[in-house]
Amino acid sequence: MDAGKSGALRKGLLEFVVLAVVSSGRIYAADILQRLGDTEFATKEGTLYPLLSRMRRERLLEYEWQESEAGPPRKYYRLTPDGRRQLAAFRAYWKSLTRLIDELGTPPCKP
Amino acid sequence: MIHVGLSGHTTTFLLDEEGYRSLRSYFERARSRLGGDPDREEVLRDLEQSIGERFAALSPSGGRVIAGNEVDAVLGQVGTVDPGSGNGPDRHESPMRRRPFCRIAQGSWIGGVCTGLAIRSGIRVDWVRTIFILGAVFTGGIVVLVYLALVFALPVVQTRDEYEDLCRLSP
Repeated sequence: MDAGKSGALRKGLLEFVVLAVVSSGRIYAADILQRLGDTEFATKEGTLYPLLSRMRRERLLEYEWQESEAGPPRKYYRLTPDGRRQLAAFRAYWKSLTRLIDELGTPPCKP
Repeated sequence: MIHVGLSGHTTTFLLDEEGYRSLRSYFERARSRLGGDPDREEVLRDLEQSIGERFAALSPSGGRVIAGNEVDAVLGQVGTVDPGSGNGPDRHESPMRRRPFCRIAQGSWIGGVCTGLAIRSGIRVDWVRTIFILGAVFTGGIVVLVYLALVFALPVVQTRDEYEDLCRLSP
């Protein structure tokens, strides 16, 4: 697939992918980057931090500080109830989209 | 050598001049990219903390000087700030983007006039310099005066990236 087109698609999906990663439990930004690192959605702090802060403003995520043995305290993120609803809605929407795309590719049934 | 403190880190890091300049220009760009983001300061602190963690891995006790190329590598790993949708300045690209005349210090020989003209116009800097040098020879130094006038008249921008940001952000 054309890299530019799939890139735009991935960019739009990143927010939902992050929701899915954070849904696994309390997670630190570096773990999110690592989890995405070997997928199509590999990203960097420069992109992730502004996104996390916007998602927090939209009350999809929340974080709490936690001391770390090495270095400064870290922000651990988790989903809010709104975030969980958004993720469930997205998953349902994604399934309906893939079904639709599959159906659009097959010739319509003749009556 | 410059001592640099980064958000969340209790120890300071030692950078060389070049590294310090790279770091500073990274944060200037990040700040302008995040523009009107209500959480701009918090995002900048998060970035500082991450960069600090990578510096700490390079210089565990904080005593080693971190060189310019190491700083650039770390900044490359952290990546350019992408304000994303709904954040930061309006990113509609107008076809008539204003590209101001500037001097650009990065890669300059004298005052950055030729690098500035080259980057603004998209012509290779070697050609711009050749034209200036030939001009200086054949006009008996008038071009040299023009060059000096431009050094005084044009504002200076540190790096090419900064210039492109300036163009993107200018109305």
